[in-house]
Amino acid sequence: MFDYIRAKSIDEAVALLNDPHCVSRPLAGGTDVLVQVRHGPPSFQRLVDISRVPEMKIIEQRGDEIYIGAAVTYTEIIESRLLQETATCLVEASRLVGGPAIANAGTLGGNVANAAACADGTPPLVCLDAVAHIRSLNGWRAAPVAELITGPHQTALHRGELITHFTFPILPSSARSVFLKLGRRNAQAIARLNVAAAGGLGADGRINFARVVPGSTLSHLRRFVEVETLLIGEAPSTELCETAGAEAGRVMVEATGRRWSTEYKEIALHGLVACALRRVFHLEN
Amino acid sequence: MLIQLTVNGETIAVEAPPDITLLDLLRDYLNLTGTKEGCAVGECGACSVIMDGRLVNSCLVLAPQADGSEIVTIEGIHAPDGGPNDLQQNFIDYGAVQCGICIPGMIMAGEALLMHNPHPTRQEIRMALAGNLCRCTGYQQIVDAIEATAKQRQGEMG
Repeated sequence: MFDYIRAKSIDEAVALLNDPHCVSRPLAGGTDVLVQVRHGPPSFQRLVDISRVPEMKIIEQRGDEIYIGAAVTYTEIIESRLLQETATCLVEASRLVGGPAIANAGTLGGNVANAAACADGTPPLVCLDAVAHIRSLNGWRAAPVAELITGPHQTALHRGELITHFTFPILPSSARSVFLKLGRRNAQAIARLNVAAAGGLGADGRINFARVVPGSTLSHLRRFVEVETLLIGEAPSTELCETAGAEAGRVMVEATGRRWSTEYKEIALHGLVACALRRVFHLEN
Repeated sequence: MLIQLTVNGETIAVEAPPDITLLDLLRDYLNLTGTKEGCAVGECGACSVIMDGRLVNSCLVLAPQADGSEIVTIEGIHAPDGGPNDLQQNFIDYGAVQCGICIPGMIMAGEALLMHNPHPTRQEIRMALAGNLCRCTGYQQIVDAIEATAKQRQGEMG
């Protein structure tokens, strides 16, 4: 048994989440919280519905940055012309999250706060160097998404804090970002592996910008700077993408050790990263 | 708590606990049992309804979240005379119904698709049904029925 209250603003939501008389948790799309309460007694006494807080539904460009409210749904991301132009990897990831009903409900903020290792929304945010903006009774703080998520279903969020929005710098004009996912089937699938990647070329035709973020891979989501370093300064080619894919597999195995799934994951990650980079550098559609 | 919402065009105020799902509200408090419970964790789509113009899994919507919303359930989809509408008739004609438990959700997913995209390709129809599982038909006839309905509605509009 738990109670429900709908917040109309960020200020009201934060006040409700910090009510000392009631253990509260935010409710946005409900696609994680309502599944959890079916599987066991809730760890809270009240859900504070933030899904209709207008300030948390904004998608817009602010100067050189893109601003996305934490209560923005995957469908709203998919339909945003601004994000189609500036955050292709995030739009492509949103298209692969569950089916339409899940995309209509699930939110970007919820995806980060839930911090599932197999999340599809988080690798694009890390790829875009996104920062989460967090509000509490003490005011605002900002944390890179890559630092906020500390492990599977673990974040550095404190009780009473609320992710209100994300910002990320617009990619260089020459850069393109993509997202690929491997699941057990094409639709409504949990990722076995996914990857967000971005890259761009300088005037000399050589790679001067590269980001590679595999998901469902390490316990801590991060950019594979080892792979990015290998790409910088090189001319894009199919062979280079293969080399980068192999390096991604090597980095994963170095971090995780060899386990039962490595035989599959090493090859699959190699292929996934190589494919993503071929798309980034227009070597393949 | 008092939950006020519009269901199939009718404004309703219902007293219900705050911790039940929209699915439970529809079935147990409003006696609208056409919406089915399948997995109850958002994976099968049997409980699909249209909320404020968008397809949702009613098992993953908390009932008070629907306060102030417009809901369309399978009971709200019918011809003016109360019989099957064109999409439902096509499900019958194309043999898209076997055991039937997924069908209310399939019809809602189909109607939601046609609301937003009156000219869907077969691939778009398949993507629209991605969250709706059917263990009987193999989907082919369901896709056929939605495709036929889209073409018929285009003809009527043209």
